[in-house]
Amino acid sequence: MKQSNDKNDMQTSDGNGLITLKNITKRFGSNVVLDNVSLTIEKGKTTVVIGPSGCGKTVLIKHLIVLLRPNSGEVYFKGRRIDNLSENELNKIRTHYGFLFQGGALFDSLSVTENILFPMRQHSEITDFRQVEELVKTKLAMVGLDGFQNYYPANLSGGQRKRVALARAIALNPEVILYDEPTTGLDPIRADVINELILKLQRELDETTVVVTHDMTSAYKIADRIIMLHDGKIVADGDADNIRNHPHPVVQQFINGQVGEDDLAVLRMSGTVSQAQFLPRDFEQ
Amino acid sequence: MIGTVGAKTILGINNIGRFARFVWQSMVVSLRSCANTHTYPLIWTQMNIIGVRSVPVVMVTGAFVGMTLAVQAYDQLAGMGLEEHLGVLINISVVKELGPVLAAVMLAGRIGGALTAELGTMNVTEQIDAIRSMGTNPIRYLVAPRVLACLLLTPFLIIYADLMGIVGGYLVSVVQFGINSRAYWSFSANGVELWDVAIGVIKGFFFGVAIAAISCYKGFTCKEGAHGVGQACTEAFVASFISILALDFALAVISKSIYNTFWSLKSLV
Repeated sequence: MKQSNDKNDMQTSDGNGLITLKNITKRFGSNVVLDNVSLTIEKGKTTVVIGPSGCGKTVLIKHLIVLLRPNSGEVYFKGRRIDNLSENELNKIRTHYGFLFQGGALFDSLSVTENILFPMRQHSEITDFRQVEELVKTKLAMVGLDGFQNYYPANLSGGQRKRVALARAIALNPEVILYDEPTTGLDPIRADVINELILKLQRELDETTVVVTHDMTSAYKIADRIIMLHDGKIVADGDADNIRNHPHPVVQQFINGQVGEDDLAVLRMSGTVSQAQFLPRDFEQ
Repeated sequence: MIGTVGAKTILGINNIGRFARFVWQSMVVSLRSCANTHTYPLIWTQMNIIGVRSVPVVMVTGAFVGMTLAVQAYDQLAGMGLEEHLGVLINISVVKELGPVLAAVMLAGRIGGALTAELGTMNVTEQIDAIRSMGTNPIRYLVAPRVLACLLLTPFLIIYADLMGIVGGYLVSVVQFGINSRAYWSFSANGVELWDVAIGVIKGFFFGVAIAAISCYKGFTCKEGAHGVGQACTEAFVASFISILALDFALAVISKSIYNTFWSLKSLV
C-alpha cells in the first residue's frame, strides 16, 4: 500500500504550469459540477475564471488547493501529483497557497492580529514578539488597514473583512493566491480597491494569481488570461480581447449581461404581476 | 420500495463509517495533542468554557436529583419501617446512576449544543476550509482540545453533581422528614462502596468523549444555512442522549461483571 502511494506521489505532470488540472470530474450526488476539465495555471500570471452562478467556479478553485478531491482526474502542483496525498502531506503543500474566501472566513473569536498570526503560529515558533508585531503591521499596511490590529471581524465592514482576510492569506508569503469572488457584495468603489490590491500584490510579490468572479469589470482589469466555465466545461480561454470577441453565444451573453431566451420564456409563462394571487384584504386586518 | 430501503441502508452505513473515521482521527490527534505543549492553551480555554462554566448547572441538577429521590422514596421505606435506610438508596442511586447520567445529559444540552452550533457556523462560513487552506488540520485545532476538555472534566463535573445530590438528599431526609442524621450516614457508609463511586466517575470519561465527538462531528458535517445549523444541534443532542444511555447500559453490564469477578476478592487482598 505504502509502495503504491509512493509511486503515485512521484507522478508528475507533463506540462510546465505551476498548477495543472487533468481531466477533472466532480459530482455531488447525480449533479456533475465539473465535467472532464483540464487546465494549466501559469506561473506569475493572473488567471481569472468567469461564469454564471452555480457553474462550478468555486468547486474548480477548491480543486486547485485540493480542498475538494475530484471523482476522477488528477491535480499537479509544481509537477507533483497532489490529489492523492493524505491530508497531512497536503497541509505542507497548502502552505505554498493563500486563499481568500468569498466571505473572508475570518475567525470571529480572534482579533485582526490573531487572525493574521494564525498561519504563522501553526507553522513556526514565535519567539520575538516585537518582530511579529512588525510583521502584522507590514501585512496590514499592504492591504491599507494598518491601525486595525485590535479590531474583531464583527467590527469591520465587508470590504475591510476581505482585506484582512487577504492580509492573512499572504501571511506565509505564498507562491499562489486564490481569490474566490473577491468583489462580490462590495460597492463599485470598494470592489475597485480590491482589484487594485490584487494588481499591487501581483506586481510587488510576483505571485501566481487565480481569481474566480462573475464581475466582468474586475476580470478585464486584472486578468492576463480569462477562462469561462459553463455547465461544468471550459467554453472559452484567452486574454481579455479574445473573450470580448469570442464567437460562443454563451460567452457573449455572459459578458454583456443579457438574459437568455429560456429565462425570458419562463418569465412570460409565470404571468403578469397583477395576475398574481395576493392575500385577501381581511387577512391583513 | 426495495430500492429506497437499500439506498437508505447504504446511506446509513456510509454515515456510520464517516463518523467512525472521524472519531478515530479525533482520538489519534487528541493523543498526539497531549504530547504537544503548543496545544495546551487551546485545551485550557476549552476546559474553562466546557468545565468551569458548567459547574453551577451541574450542581443544581445533582441537588434536585438527590432531593427528588428523597421525596419519592421516603413513603415506601417508611411504610416498611426502613426510613433510616433512605441514605443508602439515595446515595447509591446518585453516585452510580442518576448523578452521572443526568449530569451528562445536562452537559450534552449545554456543551453539545454550543459545540455543534459553533463548529457548524464555522463550517457554513468556510472557516473550517480556511483552516485547511492554511495547512492546518482542523481536527487538531478544533476537535482535539474540545474532546480532551470534555474527557478530563466530565468526571469532575459528575463528582460535583454527586456531591450536591448527596447533600440535597441528606437535607430533605433529615430536615424535612426528621430522619436521624447519625443513622442516615451510618447506613449510607455501609451500603455505598468505593466501587460504586468509582464506576460513576469512570462513566464520566466515556460520556465526555461521546458528547464531544458527536457534537463536533455534527458541527463538521452540518448543512448550510440557519436551518442546517439548528438541525445539526438537535441531532447532536438526540444522538448524545441516546449514546449516554447506551453507554450507561453497556458500562453497567461490564462493571457488574468486573465487580462480581474481582471486588469480592478485596477482603483477600
